[in-house]
Amino acid sequence: MSLFPLVGRKQPRMRVAWSLMNILLWLGIILHLIPFFIMISTSLKPAAEAMAMPPTLWPKNPTLVGWSLIWNISDIAKSLLSQPLSRYFLNSTLMTLGTIILSIPVTSLAAYATSKLIKGRATKPLFIFFIGTLMLPGIVTLIPSFLLTRNFPFPLPVPPNIPGTDIAFPTLRIWNTIWAVILPAGFSASNFLLFKGFFDGIPDSIINAARVDGGSEFNIFRRIIVPMSLPVYAVTTYFTFGGVWDSYLWPLVVIQDSAIAPLTLAIRRISDAFSGAGTTSTMTALGASSAIAPLVEQGLSWNGLMVLGLLQALPVFIFFIFAREYLLKGVRIQGLK
Amino acid sequence: MAISSEQVAPVETPAAVQAVDTTKGANRWQYWLFAIPALVFQFFWGWYPMVIAFFLSLTNAPIRGAVTFQGLNNYSRLLADPLVSMSFKITFIYGIGSMLLTFGIPILIAIFLLEIPAKLMRVMMLLWFVPLSGIASTLFWRYLYNEQFGIFQWIATAVLGMEPQAFLSSESWVIFWLIFPGILMFGPGLYYMTGLQGIPKSYYEAAEIEGAGFWRKIWTISLPRLRPIISMTLVFSIIGSLQEFTFPDLMTRGGPNGASRTVVMYMFTLLNEGRYGDSTSLAVLLFIVIMVLVLLYRAFFKDDPDV
Repeated sequence: MSLFPLVGRKQPRMRVAWSLMNILLWLGIILHLIPFFIMISTSLKPAAEAMAMPPTLWPKNPTLVGWSLIWNISDIAKSLLSQPLSRYFLNSTLMTLGTIILSIPVTSLAAYATSKLIKGRATKPLFIFFIGTLMLPGIVTLIPSFLLTRNFPFPLPVPPNIPGTDIAFPTLRIWNTIWAVILPAGFSASNFLLFKGFFDGIPDSIINAARVDGGSEFNIFRRIIVPMSLPVYAVTTYFTFGGVWDSYLWPLVVIQDSAIAPLTLAIRRISDAFSGAGTTSTMTALGASSAIAPLVEQGLSWNGLMVLGLLQALPVFIFFIFAREYLLKGVRIQGLK
Repeated sequence: MAISSEQVAPVETPAAVQAVDTTKGANRWQYWLFAIPALVFQFFWGWYPMVIAFFLSLTNAPIRGAVTFQGLNNYSRLLADPLVSMSFKITFIYGIGSMLLTFGIPILIAIFLLEIPAKLMRVMMLLWFVPLSGIASTLFWRYLYNEQFGIFQWIATAVLGMEPQAFLSSESWVIFWLIFPGILMFGPGLYYMTGLQGIPKSYYEAAEIEGAGFWRKIWTISLPRLRPIISMTLVFSIIGSLQEFTFPDLMTRGGPNGASRTVVMYMFTLLNEGRYGDSTSLAVLLFIVIMVLVLLYRAFFKDDPDV
């Protein structure tokens, strides 16, 4: 409410500017909602209509065949997916919840300590230690971290031998378990920054008053700071949720067993099957591989892939609706110096 | 009382409040307990692999057998590999293109959104930032880009009357079509909005009295005040866009003929071939390139609006 003058809003020029701005915003909103509309509309089309030229805006006879075929995809095309789709949902959920349960407390406790407790010469180095990795390209850790999941704590393909013997050091292997996704995400530097920005805004006097009342440091944090900071917890949980739920490269590297693979890897497999060389004319049009031939015969085409996309997007969407009130309140960030 | 052991200085503020000195005292070690789990995680999964990467890049890191020091062999092999320079070129085009296309719009949108009355603004904000997950959007865009029945093909042939387009199968255009969907991604808009809310209204009122108009206010107040946040998101987007993997991998798998293979995708290929040393060296090369860009940027642009 600052760009337009307080007086003289009714002037023609101002009115035109105001309407132009509104039109621009609403156009952008419509543009943003188009993917949702197209995905929903296509998911309700029968296979042929999903591939019709010209495309139809809304299916003539909406059908749920795409939904049911995708949901039962592992029964129909066993060679494509060895597990039912619900299994991949479960795996993604476990990874996401596990990461949230571990990383939100770990990160927020550290941010609170850096913001309010540890003061003096240690503060600055501690802060750099926590956020430094954020300012560096994290991709460089891909191979060492992958090797760490295989032979923790040695970032090597093969653990070294104990000096003077032929026996290799005992190592911890979390590779190909869901811990390989959860543990490396145990601390999040970007969430740390959000937490610290928020905690910095809480007056010290509140904490000191609680100390006078005899609260232990942990109880002060748990009973006073956390309830005050729900917005930032909502934001960081939302970001973590979105990040892990959508994570792709890391699971691709550390998860091999399809019984524990997340949904993103299942989608990679399914969408791959739609880009091989086809055997029937429909399949050639789809660019489909023979693994999905039975599915194509039963009426699966891009309608099913849109269902897959909608199903994958749904949890993030629901979380967004749930956390929306907090999102603006939870971000108090003033940049890095 | 927890503070009984402290010596209390007699001052006019309530004595007990003064008594708690957070830098000294018997329970100071307790404070570190809060930070220890994070310190451990950040060490083992943050700094440790990052530092190790530089050592690993100087070795062969074979799947079996002893790790031997190779000096700069990996690097000279990579620099001689035409696929490496190609992937760097593609990564730059992708990074620069997506930043040009996507960086400015969210800032302007955030500025505009805050002009809307609060109640309506919340609804509009919700609709602007409503998330479509990255993976779902790749499926959506692949459908749109389909050469036989995609909507883009329909627009190109039926609406614009052009020849059928190759879209993602066109070696010369594939990067453009991969950059284009960025127009629907509005990640950091939320940061800008919170930054804008922190600007005192009096700045705008003062500017108005001085006769500043719409754009003038954006240029001299909103943008300079947002500068720390803009600067931060710019650094993150330099770092992020040059490390792109998910979107091109799901869209094209680097094809056709490697025309959309980014550096990280090539790293992944090397990793799958078991060439851990080479893959790490490639990551280090990318690391160096990104850091040079970030440092150059930092040297030329200052964050602080008050300077």
